[in-house]
Amino acid sequence: MTHAEAAARETAPRLKLSTKDGLLGALLIAPTVLIFCAVIVYPLVSAIYLSLFSIYTPTLKGSWVGLDNYAALLASGEFWNAFWVNVVWTVGTLVLQVVLGVALALLLHQNIVFRSLARSLILFPYFMSTVVAVLVWRWVFNDLYGILNHAMMWMGLMSMPLDWIGSMPNAMISVILVGAWKYFPFVVISVLARLQTIPDHLYEAATMDGAGWWGRFTDITLPQLREVLFIVILLRAIWDFKEFDLIYLLTGGGPVTATQTLPLLVYKQAFALNEMGGASAVAVLMMLFMLGFMLLYFRYGRATES
Amino acid sequence: MRRFGLSRILFNLLAWAIVLVVSFPLLWTIVTSLKPQTELFLIPPSLLPGEVTFEHYRKLLLETRFLTYFSNSVVVSVATTVLVVAVAVLGAHSLVRFAYPGRERLAQLVLFTYLLPSVVLIIPLYLLLVRMGIANTLLSLVVAYTTFALPFAVWLLRSFMAGIPQDLEAAAMVDGASRMGAFFDVILPQALPGIISTAVFTFILAWNEYLFALVLVNQDSSRTLTTGVITMLVTSFHIEWSMLMAASVMMSVPVIVVFAFLQKHLTRGFGAGAVKG
Repeated sequence: MTHAEAAARETAPRLKLSTKDGLLGALLIAPTVLIFCAVIVYPLVSAIYLSLFSIYTPTLKGSWVGLDNYAALLASGEFWNAFWVNVVWTVGTLVLQVVLGVALALLLHQNIVFRSLARSLILFPYFMSTVVAVLVWRWVFNDLYGILNHAMMWMGLMSMPLDWIGSMPNAMISVILVGAWKYFPFVVISVLARLQTIPDHLYEAATMDGAGWWGRFTDITLPQLREVLFIVILLRAIWDFKEFDLIYLLTGGGPVTATQTLPLLVYKQAFALNEMGGASAVAVLMMLFMLGFMLLYFRYGRATES
Repeated sequence: MRRFGLSRILFNLLAWAIVLVVSFPLLWTIVTSLKPQTELFLIPPSLLPGEVTFEHYRKLLLETRFLTYFSNSVVVSVATTVLVVAVAVLGAHSLVRFAYPGRERLAQLVLFTYLLPSVVLIIPLYLLLVRMGIANTLLSLVVAYTTFALPFAVWLLRSFMAGIPQDLEAAAMVDGASRMGAFFDVILPQALPGIISTAVFTFILAWNEYLFALVLVNQDSSRTLTTGVITMLVTSFHIEWSMLMAASVMMSVPVIVVFAFLQKHLTRGFGAGAVKG
């Protein structure tokens, strides 16, 4: 992003090619625009429109209810519960992702043996299917045969196996943990790329001034990482907030609704409670919550690109 | 640390211990998939299989619908990738090299849709696909996957293609090439590494997709791996752990292959805020 865009901006003043052939340019973007309109813009507009109806999923018959869906949601405990669960999940998993991500990026930046194998092992969770990641963790968490309970009992951390998924607060902790494990590699790779560009002489100067490793980390590394961390945190906040697969597959939103986030509530309303209008309203409200983060990313994410 | 052999060794040991703890679930999947069924329920669990068996893999491949799901996943992911990359290469080229009204707005729209949650689109898309009569088909999944894959591919390719020097294209045109001629002869070869990375990331996104597959397909013959494996092996009464772990390993094979193939490009694509979470 940074390199490519910077190069483009530099040449921008003497942009000779692009002043001609505007029609050809429009023709080339036409397929993209058509597909966008058909599968994104139209559904987006109709989601807002649908949220004003009460629609029974099996028959798809609906009647106009205006803003009633929204009024009902804003007055309902389940909606606000989902909202707060969503916030707890997002903040919890994001903090872990960033701490774990920065720590492992620093580790993988060192010259350890078989470094590329270590990097592959660390990065792989990000590329594997969420389905696989969750299945594996459910096996690790298994209350009777799971390795986690046995390992913890063997180390003397507890005397009885724990129910990691079916009770609170364990379920929330498990979801946050698995989310952190699945998505922290994104932080690792972004930070790693940035670490490689910090000039060595900064560290040498600090060492000569008598700074220890912690001093070097807080005085040089962290300030240098500030921008990339800001962007990474924004992006991950947006992506974690809308996460469906991981939570749905791990706990299904349970026990009861203790880990039911907004995306899960949309799914439940539309396809289990057969209330598509209400579900659309949840989705639209969720998008409004996310809009703040998106606008921030629009402003600062693209600004730092150039 | 650099001077003393011993502290270097200790540091390496510590580093690798951390790496192994973090990647333990990956290794545990493989170990579990190779254990005989009886060994699975030993208390305490054995860290290495006492006896290695490929029975679960054999059963999965020969006695279940695993291969149907696998080929469905291949068809959907390849179709999505080809469609999306072809459209996105043209679109991205247009966004970085041409001037027309609304170009900046379009770029912003791409970014916005790239961040848009799928759950917002899923209900209208479901209704649309039912009305078109293609619900429950692989085609419906390709259509649905375009909603996240196209913004992603355009956005990523745009940053790759902006890095190609304009002088090359200008030189080709001085030599008499047309605008499109220069695109095919100069831009495409230059953009190839970016196009390959984009294609691989798009493939992985489609391969791993779960929500659309869950909602749009309700018929066993069109299920993909992500939903198929779960409906097949997980019921409320019983979970086939051995087969599930074997299926997990096999589902990851295509991802491992492209991952290994792409190692050196990874940093670049990732740096672009590339892979969707």
